[in-house]
Amino acid sequence: MLALAREFSPVVEQTSANTVVFPISALRTLIGSPYQIAAEICRLGQERKLDASLAIASYPDTAILLARHFSGVTLVSAGEEHLKLAPIPLQSLFAYDTTLDPALLEILHRWGLKTCEDLAGLPERGVAERLGQPGVYLRKLACGAIDRPLRVAAPATNYEERVELEHALDLLEPLLFLLGRTLGELCSRLRSQSRAARLLEARLDLENCTLCANSYRAQRLPNRLCANSYRAQRLPNRLCANPYCCELEFPVPLDQAQTILKLLQLHLERHPPEAPVIAFRLRVEPAEPRRIQGGMFLPPTPPADKLQVTLARIAAMVGRENTGTPMLLNTYRPDAFQMTGLHTDPRLPKEQPAGRETVRLAMRLFRPALEARIRLAGTAPKAVTAAGIKGTVLRCAGPWKTSGEWWASTAWAREEWDVALDDGGLYRIYCELPARAWYVHGVYD
Amino acid sequence: MANTSALLRYRDFAKTASALGWERPEAKFPALPVPGLNELLGQGLCRGAIAEVTGRRSSGRTSIALHILAQATAHGEICAVIDLYNNFHPASAQAAGVELDRIVWVGCRGNAEHAMRATDLLLHAGGFGVVLLDLCDAPARVLNRIPLSYWYRFRRTVEHTPAILLICADSAQAKSCSSNSIELKPKVFHWSGKAPFLLLRGMEATALLQRACGILNRAPQAPNALCARAAGASSVQVMV
Repeated sequence: MLALAREFSPVVEQTSANTVVFPISALRTLIGSPYQIAAEICRLGQERKLDASLAIASYPDTAILLARHFSGVTLVSAGEEHLKLAPIPLQSLFAYDTTLDPALLEILHRWGLKTCEDLAGLPERGVAERLGQPGVYLRKLACGAIDRPLRVAAPATNYEERVELEHALDLLEPLLFLLGRTLGELCSRLRSQSRAARLLEARLDLENCTLCANSYRAQRLPNRLCANSYRAQRLPNRLCANPYCCELEFPVPLDQAQTILKLLQLHLERHPPEAPVIAFRLRVEPAEPRRIQGGMFLPPTPPADKLQVTLARIAAMVGRENTGTPMLLNTYRPDAFQMTGLHTDPRLPKEQPAGRETVRLAMRLFRPALEARIRLAGTAPKAVTAAGIKGTVLRCAGPWKTSGEWWASTAWAREEWDVALDDGGLYRIYCELPARAWYVHGVYD
Repeated sequence: MANTSALLRYRDFAKTASALGWERPEAKFPALPVPGLNELLGQGLCRGAIAEVTGRRSSGRTSIALHILAQATAHGEICAVIDLYNNFHPASAQAAGVELDRIVWVGCRGNAEHAMRATDLLLHAGGFGVVLLDLCDAPARVLNRIPLSYWYRFRRTVEHTPAILLICADSAQAKSCSSNSIELKPKVFHWSGKAPFLLLRGMEATALLQRACGILNRAPQAPNALCARAAGASSVQVMV
């Protein structure tokens, strides 16, 4: 039925599973009078063996009520809607609009009202005084006087594109050109729906190339995906069984193709496919774009899209594990943290808490901890020797015994000391138990 | 002869910027106030400039750097830490008042080239309040390989922006490119209790302002510069 309606108008409301409404005003110049339009719709409906009722009225709600109540074809001229609706029982109105309170129907029945004609005969002011806004709406519905725009059912937008290539691509640059064009189309679709991409899923179908199984050659050639593509084209079975798949999740939804392409490029440069690309599929997952109200008194923050590209560049250089925002873990384990994404939402300056003027002593950690040789005097350290550190202990504080997570692989048990050496440094050293191995954990600075 | 007299006349005019009391134009952005260092910095750290905190190990340079980061994040700014040897201690930073969720931390695993390139990328991205470049404990052979052009490039990048590039190192690196330069010298460590029941309470360091918004410590105070302040020394208490 929806397909039949779409043949007459692109603006179609699917009210329910078996009801569709569409405007016919534009068809008058194309087909003719409402009678001719109705005849044409019936003809096409019979061709498709549809068993349905048709009603043509000035307003959509009136047409729906008439089509549901009268079988066959019903045509109503403007101004005569209340006459056609007159015999329809009031229960039909409540069945049509389920948001109406059923108690209202009971009241109308107690008043002796059975049909739309009865309700339409009541004065509007009196109905408003006794039943309020729902009563006025119901009376207008019974008169066929409610006009509203159609709730057009938009077809679901496809955020997926697949491109098959005639020749396999073994260089990154031409592949990026095609990826950029496809991403541009996807991003324009996103923008037309006021959406942005939260996630990009890329699947590259690789050519069946046994010579390209060793990826070390591809890694050595930064812009070349495969050095042996010309030989691969000669192989009969072109598609490789294992496609190259990657998912890029963006901390902030993006709708700029250039930015997404740059992030994809950085990923492909870091993890190149092992064979030439014969086809690719891109899919973006839409999400609500980030909308932030800027403020005159808010400090500036990095632009989200530019920051993502910058962090991706840095991550490609120093490694993803070395880039991010540290978040302390809920444990007493020393140096327990994990890297997370950065929140760039503008934030108002906080009130200065008490003690903010005090400079707190900070520590610099050695990662990994430096193995140390300790000379003891009793239980206290007397001299410390480690890589780049050598000195006699002038003063020391400790031992501070800590342990925890004995139930997990991250268990620790140690005795910590704060030591001031004669080289001028103030260090934290610890003795790992039960091995009694000494380490320099960090330096106070 | 005429050339010699012209040369002599030129010599009279050819005074250095510091001797002339070089006056910077009025600052475009308000300085970042640093409450614990009011005696030293006056109104605070100049924005759109390079600042340096130098000193040897255990001189309190990291504490001062984290304190400045804490002030910036408290103002709602996003900051970055480029850490040459991955020495950044998040727990210490949080204890110093740094809001960790406003920090980007880049660990370079000892690669100075990566550190400089990461700094360059972050400064060009824009929007950061303070970018801390931590070069502490880097040997001289590593630091000497850093081209001087990097510092000029960084100075040009940050000027006319509200960003501060804060360099923390053993010795001054940016030289004339820096606008604020604080040198720290450890004075004494504070302990409480008596041996063997000692407890580390903090340390005291002497902070020497080598350069304040382009004013060298031997230059007269510039009357019109907003952030300019006569350089001097101050004692900084760093508490556990």
